[in-house]
Amino acid sequence: MRSIEHQDPTMTNQMAGEMAVLEIDSLVRRFGGLAALRQVSFAVNAHEVLGIIGPNGAGKTTLINVIGGIYPPTSGRILFQGRDITELPAHLRCRLGIARTFQIVRPVQGLNLLQNIMVGSLFGRGASLKEARSQSLGICQFMGLSRVDRAIAKLTVLEIKKMEIARALSTQPRILLLDEVMAGLNVDETREMIDLVRQVCAQGVTVCIIEHVMSVIRELTERVIVLDHGEKIAQGPYEEVSRDPRVIGAYLGEEE
Amino acid sequence: MSALPRSRRYQIAVPLALFIVVLAWWHPYAVIEGVQRAGLYAAIALPMALILGIVGIVNLAHGDFLMLGAYLAYWFAVHTQGDPLVAILPAALGLFLLGAVVYRATIKHVIGSSELSQLLLTFGLAIVLQQTATLLWTSQPVSINTEYTSTSATIGSLTFGTYGFVYVAAAVIEFAGLTFFLQRTRLGQAASASGQNPVGARIVGINVDRVYLIVFSISLALAGAVGVLFLTRHAVFPLVGGGLTFKSFCLAAMAGLGNLRGILWCSLILGLAESLVSTSKEYAGWADLIFFVAIVAVILVQSHRRQVT
Amino acid sequence: MAFPLYAGVYLQHTATIILTYLCLALSWDMLVRTGQISFGVAGFFGIGAYSAALTALNLKLDPLLSIAVGGLAAMAAALVLGLTTLQLRGMYFAITTLALTEIFRVIVRNLPGLTGGPEGTVLPSAIFDGDPTKTYWLLLAIALVTIAISEAFQRTRVYFAITSIRHDEMVARSSGLDIFKYAVFVFAVTSAIQGIVGASFAQQYAFVSPEGTFDIDFTLLPIAMCLLGGMHSTLGPIIGALVLGSVAEYLKLQLPYGHLLVYGAVITLVILLMPQGVAGKMKEQFVREQ
Ligand SMILES: Nc1ncnc2c1ncn2[C@@H]1O[C@H](COP(=O)(O)OP(=O)(O)O)[C@@H](O)[C@H]1O
Ligand SMILES: [Mg+2]
Repeated sequence: MRSIEHQDPTMTNQMAGEMAVLEIDSLVRRFGGLAALRQVSFAVNAHEVLGIIGPNGAGKTTLINVIGGIYPPTSGRILFQGRDITELPAHLRCRLGIARTFQIVRPVQGLNLLQNIMVGSLFGRGASLKEARSQSLGICQFMGLSRVDRAIAKLTVLEIKKMEIARALSTQPRILLLDEVMAGLNVDETREMIDLVRQVCAQGVTVCIIEHVMSVIRELTERVIVLDHGEKIAQGPYEEVSRDPRVIGAYLGEEE
Repeated sequence: MSALPRSRRYQIAVPLALFIVVLAWWHPYAVIEGVQRAGLYAAIALPMALILGIVGIVNLAHGDFLMLGAYLAYWFAVHTQGDPLVAILPAALGLFLLGAVVYRATIKHVIGSSELSQLLLTFGLAIVLQQTATLLWTSQPVSINTEYTSTSATIGSLTFGTYGFVYVAAAVIEFAGLTFFLQRTRLGQAASASGQNPVGARIVGINVDRVYLIVFSISLALAGAVGVLFLTRHAVFPLVGGGLTFKSFCLAAMAGLGNLRGILWCSLILGLAESLVSTSKEYAGWADLIFFVAIVAVILVQSHRRQVT
Repeated sequence: MAFPLYAGVYLQHTATIILTYLCLALSWDMLVRTGQISFGVAGFFGIGAYSAALTALNLKLDPLLSIAVGGLAAMAAALVLGLTTLQLRGMYFAITTLALTEIFRVIVRNLPGLTGGPEGTVLPSAIFDGDPTKTYWLLLAIALVTIAISEAFQRTRVYFAITSIRHDEMVARSSGLDIFKYAVFVFAVTSAIQGIVGASFAQQYAFVSPEGTFDIDFTLLPIAMCLLGGMHSTLGPIIGALVLGSVAEYLKLQLPYGHLLVYGAVITLVILLMPQGVAGKMKEQFVREQ
C-alpha cells in the first residue's frame, strides 16, 4: 500500500532559494451566503516565519483549511513551489510538503502518543513501520515528549499540542501551518513552544503561524498579514502593522 | 436541490415535463401508474426525511413501523369486519405513542454518538420489528379487498385504476401539513431550529430533546397512517418494510437531506422510471434495480460536487 | 483442533457452521475498523456461492478452484461498488449495502438461463463427496487465513490507516493518507473473504437458490456476533461467533419463526448498554481492576 507520490527531494532543493514557497492568489471561500475569505493574496517566502493575525471569525482557520485542501476554494489559486495545487486533494498536498495543526486539537483516540505521530511519517512520507517508529521517536525527543506509549486520555494540554506539531513534523514538511498552538498554555509553556518553533524554523522549515497572543507574534515573526472579515487589510512587520488604523479598528470592533 | 438556484431548477423541471408529455403520448398507462407510485413513495419517504432533517438520524426501521401500521389496520378490519381505512387514526395514534416509547428507550441514547452506533441501533430495531411480526403473524402475506380500491376510469381506449391517486393526495396533504407545521407553528419552528443548529437552539431555550421526541413520534404516526393506506392496495408481510426504508432513503438523499419539496419531484422521476420498466413485458423483473441505480448515481454526483465546491 | 477425528458428525457439522460465521463476522469487523458498516455480507456471500456453483457446473472447474473464483467474483463486485460509492462514506455507503443483497437476488432471479432463476441450481455432488471431516478442515483453513489477515490488519501500517480513518478523516487526509484507497482496499479484501465463505457453503450443500443463498442470516448473525464479542479486534468477533454460533442451530430448531429476533435484540441491547461489546466490557473491567 505504499505510494509513489511522495515529495521529490531533488526538485525541492533546486527550488528552495529566495522564491516563494507558497503563493496565494485571489482566494475566495464562501459558506452559503457568508464569504469567509475574500480575494486574499499573499506569498510565503522560503525560511521565513509568517504571522497571520486577525480577530475571531476573520477567516484564519478557513485559510489554513483551504491551503491544506480540507475544502476547495470558491475561486482563486494556490501555488506551492511554483506548482498549481488548487485541485490537489489534501493527502497529496501533505505529501508534497504542506503540514498543518488543528486549532481544536484532533488526536486520534484509538492510537497512543507515538502512534499518533507515526501516522504522519507513515503516510505523509511513505515511511515503513520501522522507519516511522524511529523517526517519530526522534521527533518526540526533540519536542520533549516522554513516555510515548501513553494513551491520549493520559496527556496534558501541552503534550497534546506538542503531539499535533510532532505529527505535522513527522511528514517532513517544507511548510508548517500552525493554528493557535499557544492558546491555553501558561507563560512557561508558551516560552517553551516559542523555542520549539524557532528550532523547527532553523531546520529549514517555513512556518505560517496564526496566533492571538501578540507577544508571540512580535517575538517570532518577521512579517505578518492581517485578516478581517475574510479580507487582507494589512501586511508588513508587526511593529508597523500594529500602528495601522485599519488594524486597530478591526480589533477594537471585536471588543465591542 | 434546496441549494439550486432558480435557473437550475428549470433545467430539471423543463426536461422532466417534456419527458412526461412524450411518455404520456407513447405509453399513457405507465405515466398514470408512475404518478400513483410516486405518490406512494413520497408519502412513505416524507416522514423519514423529517427525522433525517431534524433529528439527524437515519431510521432504518422506518418501513417496519409502516408495516406495523398496516398490520394494525389488518387486525382491525378482520375483527370488526369494517373498512381498514377507519383504522388510520388509531394506527397513527398508536404509532405516535410507540414512537415516544421507542425514542425514550433507544434513539435518545445514541443522539450525538457515532453514526455507526445510530445505524446499527435502528438496524437492530428493524430486525426486532420484522421478527416480532413474523412470530405473531407468520411470514405469509395478508391483504384486504375492498370494493372501492378497484374503481377505474376510462379515457378513450385507456382504462386505469383511480384509487391509486389516493397516494398522490396523501403525499400532497402530508407535504403541505409538514411544511405548515415547520414554518407556521411554534413547535415546528423550534424543530427547524433544532435541526439546523441544535447547540444554538439549546442556547435560546428550546428543549431539543423534547422536540426530537415529538418529531420522531410524528414521523412514526405518519408512517403508521400511510401503512394503513398501503394495506388497502398491497399485500403486507413482515419483511415488506425493508425495501420501503431503502427507497425512502434514496429519495431523501436524491432530494438533498432535509429537503421535503425535493422528495416530491424525485419520487415523480423514480416512480415514472420504475413504472416504465415494470410495465414493459421483457424487463419487468428489473424494476427493482431503479432505486439502486439512482442512489449510486446520487453518490457519484454528490462526491463529485463535494470535490468542486 | 483435531477433535473432529473423534467427534460425531453432528458436532463436526456444528463446528463447520461456527467457522463459517466466524469468517463472516471477522471480515465484517475488519471493514468496521475503517468506520464503514456493510449490511451486504449476505450479498457477497451469495455472489461467491453462485460464482462457484456456476463455474463448477458449466466450466467443470475443480471445486477448490471454483471456491477461489467465488472469492474473486465477490472481490470484483466490491471493487466496482467501492470505486463508485466509497467517496461518500458513512450512511450513504451503509444504506447502499443495505440494498445489495436484494439487488443481487433480483439479478440472479432474472437470469434464469444462467443461474437457474428462482428455483436455483443443484450441483451433481457436494465437495469431497460430502465428507464432513474434510469439509471441516477446509473451513478451518479458511478461518485461519481470515484470522491471519485480521491480525495483519492489526499489526501493519494498515492498522494506522484504518484507525485514523475511523476516528478522524480530517486528520488522516491532512497526514497524507489516501482514505479512498484504503477504504476500497479493505472493502475488496473483506468481500473476497465473504465470497470464499459463500463459495465453500455452496460447494458443501451442492445447491444455490436466490432465497437460501442470499439469506439475511449471513448478514445478521455476523453483526450480532461482532457486537456481542466486541468490535475492532480479532478476538471479539471470534468470541462472539463461538457463543452465538453454538446456540444458532438450537435456536433455529426451537424458534423456526422469529429466531432472528434474538439477534436483532442482541444488536439493539449491545449498542444501548455496552457499545464496546461483552468482551470489550470485560477487558475494560480487567484494566480498571489492575
Ligand atoms: N465549515 C464551515 N461552514 C460554515 N461556516 C464556516 C465554516 N468554517 C468557518 N465558517 C465561518 O467562516 C468564518 C471564519 O471562520 P474561521 O476561519 O474559523 O475564523 P478564525 O479562525 O479567524 O477565527 C466564521 O464566520 C465561521 O463561522
Ligand atoms: Mg480559528
